[in-house]
Amino acid sequence: MGDTTTHAPATLSADGRQIQHGDHIDTIESVDTVFRAQRKLSFTYGAIFFAVTLGVPASSVWWTAWYSVEILGGFTANYLFVGLFYFVFLWVMAWTYAKQADRLDERLLAMADDIATGTMNGGVRS
Amino acid sequence: MNTIAIILVVGLTLFTIGLSVFSRRFTRTTADFYLAGRKVGSFANASAISGDYLSAASFLGVAGAIYASGLDGIWYAAGFAGGFMLVVLFIASPLRRFGEYTVADFAFGRFGSSRIRLITVIAVLLTSLFYMAPQMYGAGTTWQVLVGQGIFGLDAYTSGVIVVAAIIAFYVSVGGMKGTTMNQIFQFWWLAFAMILVVVFAFGNGFGYPSELEAASREPIVNTKAYTVAELTTPDANGVTPYDKAAEVMTAEEMATVDEFIASNAEGKTPIAFYASNKLHPEREMLFNEPGHRYNGFDQFSMVLALVLGTAGLPHILNRYYTNPSGKAARRSTFWVLMFIGVFYIGSTIAGLAGLSIIREYLAGGGTLNAASVHGLLTKPDQLMPALGEILGGQWLMGIVSAGAFAAMFSTVGGLLIAAASALGHDVYEKYINKDASEAKRVAFGKTAVLAFAGVALLIGLAIPYFGLDQAYPALIAMMVTWAFSVGASAFVPMLLTGIWWKGTTEKGATAGMVVGLIGAVTIIFLNILQQLGTIGHEGVLGFVGSLTYPVLFTFPLGLATIIIVSKLDGQLPKNVDHIWMRIHGTASERHEKQYGLDKVGSMFAKGK
Repeated sequence: MGDTTTHAPATLSADGRQIQHGDHIDTIESVDTVFRAQRKLSFTYGAIFFAVTLGVPASSVWWTAWYSVEILGGFTANYLFVGLFYFVFLWVMAWTYAKQADRLDERLLAMADDIATGTMNGGVRS
Repeated sequence: MNTIAIILVVGLTLFTIGLSVFSRRFTRTTADFYLAGRKVGSFANASAISGDYLSAASFLGVAGAIYASGLDGIWYAAGFAGGFMLVVLFIASPLRRFGEYTVADFAFGRFGSSRIRLITVIAVLLTSLFYMAPQMYGAGTTWQVLVGQGIFGLDAYTSGVIVVAAIIAFYVSVGGMKGTTMNQIFQFWWLAFAMILVVVFAFGNGFGYPSELEAASREPIVNTKAYTVAELTTPDANGVTPYDKAAEVMTAEEMATVDEFIASNAEGKTPIAFYASNKLHPEREMLFNEPGHRYNGFDQFSMVLALVLGTAGLPHILNRYYTNPSGKAARRSTFWVLMFIGVFYIGSTIAGLAGLSIIREYLAGGGTLNAASVHGLLTKPDQLMPALGEILGGQWLMGIVSAGAFAAMFSTVGGLLIAAASALGHDVYEKYINKDASEAKRVAFGKTAVLAFAGVALLIGLAIPYFGLDQAYPALIAMMVTWAFSVGASAFVPMLLTGIWWKGTTEKGATAGMVVGLIGAVTIIFLNILQQLGTIGHEGVLGFVGSLTYPVLFTFPLGLATIIIVSKLDGQLPKNVDHIWMRIHGTASERHEKQYGLDKVGSMFAKGK
């Protein structure tokens, strides 16, 4: 398997477990911490998103009141949700996710600095 | 001749060309040509992504699909928007953090082989071609409504396709990504303006959303389709002919025209109207506010998945994320995209419903349109928006709407041409054919690739009516776009998701998954086309596979499972996998960018590099 660092913006250290950009160093430990937190956030939101998105066609197939009972003029619950509230759902999801991801980024950037500094000083945390 | 409307469209075109010529001064390097110098801010990039994304399918096709199919048509709007959630949650930030030019670069950088880069290039080109087809068809049909006649002895459809292909080829090859970005920003806001105007005029015309929906849902949805004399009089398995079905719906006067057509035994086809059946709940009438006009139970799910997963697999959209200055900006861009296109699609749902009564009443009152109609319904729903513009606001609104339709095509085909050109220019020419090429030669190759692909787009546009595809599918534009989504979702998304989120993905696994997803999706789409054209039947395995309108429900999990199984069996990770992982998920680069202010938005038009 080839080395794929041709376009990498930084160099690989001798032990292959550090990446450096200017004064900033990532270790595999700090990256794993960042990755786990980001994965938890993204996959939690992803599960909610797919549950709601696939819940709509499921309701269209099996929930008669959802697709056939008019609740406001000609609006069925199905039509109202797909034609309007689904967009609101997406906006709320995207906004709260972006905010949480930004906060997580800030926290992890600082944490990564701490971990990297510890590593640079010889205090490897694993 | 709609003189005022045509002048507005010409004005928009000249402005588009002017922006590209202006941008030319700032396009010197390949980073400028393909990525606008990576200095596009969140709001501007969101506008450009929205312009890139909102194609003829969104502007003409979604409203047309809702007009023709009611609730099932609305899924196009919801699914097109929902796809960006997948992008923001799983792809936008890591992709930008990886920091390359194209999706193929990501594949190469992540898995380290030329093989996967070249397969990605093929998938990019195929997805782009599938996406270009409906744009070019939209160009032809909009020209039919707007101008109503051809130029240089050509018919109206052909003239529209040729003129649009020529204009886009010129402005993309001149302006590159900077010119395309500026155009996409302008074109998105023009589109939004046109959509809002149509909605405002509809409400001004007395449209009330709940009451109009109630009125539209009292009677079953009426389909329109054109038939030959032989087809009209041939009974189906239940002994009912299309003529019999038409007689249930059409007036005596309208049926007299059909009788006359049959008596003359004329060549060609005549349109008829007939009640639609409910594919989801066959025991129920097919009402506008209920599901089932287009999709059975299986397709309800596969359609949603095709649209939601497909957005994350569109190369021209993914490439745009590389133009953000940081991962955070990429995420913020996506939020704004969701806001912009959400409002736009809510407008589409209103326009699609409003069109039903407005067009019927207009035609019943003796009004005439360039768009063909039967029983008060347009025979080509994709022509709804310009027709609605003409009825509601005369030539001015028709001009604004038609200019919006052309803007949608310009911006999307522009993005596709850049994606296709970068796949060939950056991923093939610069990496394998002429590694030592000067910047001038690289840019020149990119421009040549743009011109070549514009030529291919032109041929595809002309081939659609030649092969009868426009007769085989209702709301063809939206339908064809879902093919592009299906190819992207099957080829790219499994590779991107596993490449970003599963360290154990190997090169062999990713390559096998891409090949399986790509070939599977393209095969099923072509079988479906052949079935709709009557070349293959509905029997046997081939008939079953051909009946799958949206292959994603099979091909996405198939691609994903292939990647996982082959990777597990293979087990050979790239030797620098930790380094790659740190590049995708690490923070050193961002801390560095933040410290030196490199994450800030700059001017796309700065002369210095």
